[in-house]
Amino acid sequence: MLSRVAENLYWMARYLERAENTARFINSTTQVLLDLPRAASIGWDVLLKVAGLDQLYHEHYASANEADILRFLILDARNPGSIIASIHSARENTRTFREVLPMEIWERINALYLYVRDNAARATHGRSQRYEVLNGIIERRQSVIGLLMGSMSHDLAYQFTKLGRNLERADMTTRIIDVNSAVRLPDDPAAAEAARERLWMSTLNALSAYQMYRQHVGVHVSGPAVVRFLLTDPHFPRTVEHCLGEIESCLSELVNYHKPLNVARHAWRRLGAMDFSDVSPETLHHNLDQLQADLAALHDAISRQYFYLHQKTAIQEQGMTQ
Amino acid sequence: MSLTASRYDAGGFFDELIDADGQPRPAARALFAHLGALDGATLEARRQAVNAAIMTMGITFTVYSEAGNIDRAWPFDIIPRVMARKEWARIEAGLKQRLTALNLFIDDLYNAQRIIRDGVFPREVLEGSRSFRAQCVGMTPRFGVWAHVCGTDLVRDRDGTVYVLEDNLRVPSGVSYMLENRQLMKRLFPELFQETAIAPVDDYPTRLHDTLAALSPRTGVRPVIAVLTPGIFNSAYFEHSYLAQKMGAFLVEGSDLVVDDDDCVYMKTIAGLRRVDVIYRRIDDDFLDPEVFRTDSVLGVAGLMRAWRAGNVGIANAPGAGVADDKVVYAYVPKVIRYYLDQDPIIPNVPSYLCMHDDERDHVLANLDRLVVKPANESGGYGMLIGPRATAQERATFAGLIRANPRNYMAQPTLALSTAPTLIDDHLEPRHLDLRPFVLQSDRLYATTGGLTRVAMQAGSLVVNSSQGGGAKDTWIVDVD
Repeated sequence: MLSRVAENLYWMARYLERAENTARFINSTTQVLLDLPRAASIGWDVLLKVAGLDQLYHEHYASANEADILRFLILDARNPGSIIASIHSARENTRTFREVLPMEIWERINALYLYVRDNAARATHGRSQRYEVLNGIIERRQSVIGLLMGSMSHDLAYQFTKLGRNLERADMTTRIIDVNSAVRLPDDPAAAEAARERLWMSTLNALSAYQMYRQHVGVHVSGPAVVRFLLTDPHFPRTVEHCLGEIESCLSELVNYHKPLNVARHAWRRLGAMDFSDVSPETLHHNLDQLQADLAALHDAISRQYFYLHQKTAIQEQGMTQ
Repeated sequence: MSLTASRYDAGGFFDELIDADGQPRPAARALFAHLGALDGATLEARRQAVNAAIMTMGITFTVYSEAGNIDRAWPFDIIPRVMARKEWARIEAGLKQRLTALNLFIDDLYNAQRIIRDGVFPREVLEGSRSFRAQCVGMTPRFGVWAHVCGTDLVRDRDGTVYVLEDNLRVPSGVSYMLENRQLMKRLFPELFQETAIAPVDDYPTRLHDTLAALSPRTGVRPVIAVLTPGIFNSAYFEHSYLAQKMGAFLVEGSDLVVDDDDCVYMKTIAGLRRVDVIYRRIDDDFLDPEVFRTDSVLGVAGLMRAWRAGNVGIANAPGAGVADDKVVYAYVPKVIRYYLDQDPIIPNVPSYLCMHDDERDHVLANLDRLVVKPANESGGYGMLIGPRATAQERATFAGLIRANPRNYMAQPTLALSTAPTLIDDHLEPRHLDLRPFVLQSDRLYATTGGLTRVAMQAGSLVVNSSQGGGAKDTWIVDVD
């Protein structure tokens, strides 16, 4: 597999995962707003901070209001992480390797792009339309994954899409959890407790995890239990633990995987050592930051190993494998 | 509404589907019987289904403009161009004859130059050729074949005669659209494909693969074939990607390849460098190798010519093959066929006047208002004069250009290109078209069944290029009882 193609596949998967998760996390925030008591508030700019986009936003917009922030996150091409830009990038990347992907995948990604292009504006208007459009994006993106898993040989090209998907997914899960550390709760302790529970439920909902949480953890929703589930449950497919496991299994299918695998295991050990009994905003945010840094290091290790070949080394390595 | 041949008027041109009495030609009868039975709503629904399929299949071509590169959906007419198998068989034989002779000719030009010594082909034409590559002299690629893929443009004149208009021997494109057109038509008219013996076209990628694989310098291993593309911004990128996919080949850009000290070509993979055996290049000679041709090229691969000359990689088409793709050389092709094959050309050339010959130049200058004048080394219709449509001023300018550089110009009479019924709104109108079959040669010869029919979608227009309002039709070669 060509390094350039591997890199494009990896980024195609990351872009699609990012678009879906951005849709999820706008949806859940919108839901939370409906449920929170009046005394609690959530600034829409939380979304910017959590996505790491606040600086870029303020370069283009004067104030942080709901309409502008949603426009920026959903359909502003100047934001490379916006849903439309992510899907556009994924589509353009897909063009460069239509020869390694089943044709139908291009058709689905193209259909997803056309849907976003034609409907994204509606998602910035009323909240009811927003939910419908964002769900439409999530569904279409899920059908792309379904097709990838069901119609593509689980070959090298597939492993690189899986790598990109799981790395981005783990990262976005930490960011969606991080929304909780940025909410201002009401002063009244009883109201605060109720609000906190709503928030954690919405976090589970954003990740389509509520039902599985109830089955595998219990009906009571508490911060530590939710955080522990979403980060360390080995079986739920959006947890950091699960994603790291998937990444390990991808790497083991590739050649010369030792360096990136070591970085993945380092991240995994750090996750295992974390204590989630304390989910106060500072501690939670600190832990999530650490995980994000570990995932970034893993991305760097993968890039260095597979995307930027040092030619001479590569020839020797090939000589050894033949 | 239904589509019938009645009230259709080809305006005195030869029409591919409807004869002079307004009746469908034998090969098109089944088609018209079918079209006549469709009601307007059904037809419109199918046309919309095709347009939707074009969008979702992403069949696009890129248009360059100041506003950025735009992907346009492929303009496709749902009325096929139909030809009887018997007529096609003759054309196919002519195409194979022509490519065989052209390859013998190219190989001769780069080696003994017998045809020049025997006085059949003038040395000054070769010396005036911009596509003759001195770096290729003395090479004999495998099988003596230089042009492995040829796109031959055919046109039909008012009297029904089919002529060769051009031999595209550099990087001819369009074959992917031929294949996609057929997929669309099968979605549109599945019943017709059941009832009529329409020859399939979809073996082309396999044949192309075999043509390329035969060039591999290594035996005993499955050849690694790479399609070398200039990249995603090239207007034919869709086709490069499409063919790579259909052949199971790698789609590479220049930066993916490297020529090492052993003069072999490698591609950069996640596991290291991997040897490449055959390159189907879709970039021009000029950009192929900055060590040898244009030094500023970032599209090519430094050292590629070294590797090719050392016999370590097959390149299709071979560097320098474009020498036979020259409007002046074109005029000599009938003589080339007679010289190497001792046969008469099966498909005639359009009569051509070479301005390098005094008497022919005088004729051209005296008849500029009735001729099409073409420069020798341009393609895609650049730098042409269409005499009947030019102003007196433009003709005077061209006369000056011809006198200053007679070797660079040739002229042909304006042809009355044939038409075919084309769906315009809800009825059929005649539109001019041509036909580009694709011919392959390495150890064997192969021609597509039919080819890409390009159609000028504007009434009266002769411009079939997709970048200038041209569209396409499926091409059916059918058995007629």
